[in-house]
Amino acid sequence: MNKSEFLANLRAHLSVLPPEEQNELLEDYEAHFAFGLESGRTEEDIVLELGDPAELAKEAIGNRYVPREHVYWFGGAEPAPVPDAPAPSAAAGVYGSEGDMRRRNSFASVMVYIGLFFLNIVIIPPLISLWSVVFSLAVSAAAGILSPLLLGLEYLWHGEIFTAKIFASVAAVGMGILLAVVTRYAYKGMLRLSVAYLRWNVRMAKGGHQA
Amino acid sequence: MDISIQFKKGALELCVLVLIQGRDRYGYELAQSVSKHIEVAEGALYPLLRRLVNEGYCTTYLQESTGGPPRKYYKLTPEGEAYTQKLVVEWKQFVHNVSTLIEKGSRL
Repeated sequence: MNKSEFLANLRAHLSVLPPEEQNELLEDYEAHFAFGLESGRTEEDIVLELGDPAELAKEAIGNRYVPREHVYWFGGAEPAPVPDAPAPSAAAGVYGSEGDMRRRNSFASVMVYIGLFFLNIVIIPPLISLWSVVFSLAVSAAAGILSPLLLGLEYLWHGEIFTAKIFASVAAVGMGILLAVVTRYAYKGMLRLSVAYLRWNVRMAKGGHQA
Repeated sequence: MDISIQFKKGALELCVLVLIQGRDRYGYELAQSVSKHIEVAEGALYPLLRRLVNEGYCTTYLQESTGGPPRKYYKLTPEGEAYTQKLVVEWKQFVHNVSTLIEKGSRL
């Protein structure tokens, strides 16, 4: 191997580096040849002393920082086979699509808010009326259970009491207890329904980003 | 691969730094001085020198020479000076430790 073969070989192995840096390194080797020839050595001797171009290139690339996304890689004279070159563009693609998604999501979430608004206009009144049913159940249950108290008040007021009213009051207490049980279930069911609906709303409004 | 090549590669940086510490030298001169003492691929010097420059341990300057191309001289920076001294101390310690281990190991 002579000087030009060595240099060509070395340049081929250095192709991942920016051309500017390749040239600087090759200049160092060319100078080395010049000094060697000056002191009376042959090109072949110098090549032997320098070592294997592939090994030297590995040293040069491995030892030094290889800039990523370097402008030279895309504007260089030779289309260098750069293994890292697709990575930045791929990464840029990923970021780009993510940005698109984020933009789509913000648009979608606005639509979700609007949709939820109209849905709530329709859903919330029946929900309120159902709650009022639960409330009235609770009031009737309380009234039934507390009816003996009214009976007691009547006795205090009038000093006498109808026997029928005592039976009616006992019946009212029984009904009140039953209603209380019903109220309890109705209340629990309504609470669960309301909480679930609220959570669904929040999830729809917030979760639009993650979905 | 010859294992001693790995030793030499590791020591090359130290040798080069010590040579430059003595006086400013240019690449070919360094190659000659190093290969006088240890057998190493001289070409490995240039990537090494570039790295030393990139890391701020050396600076370069050009000086015209009679006949041949201008010589690129390498000069230690203050950081390079400190780094070299540290490296020498560490090297001596390391060699001492390894030698001790080898001696003890053969006796055990």
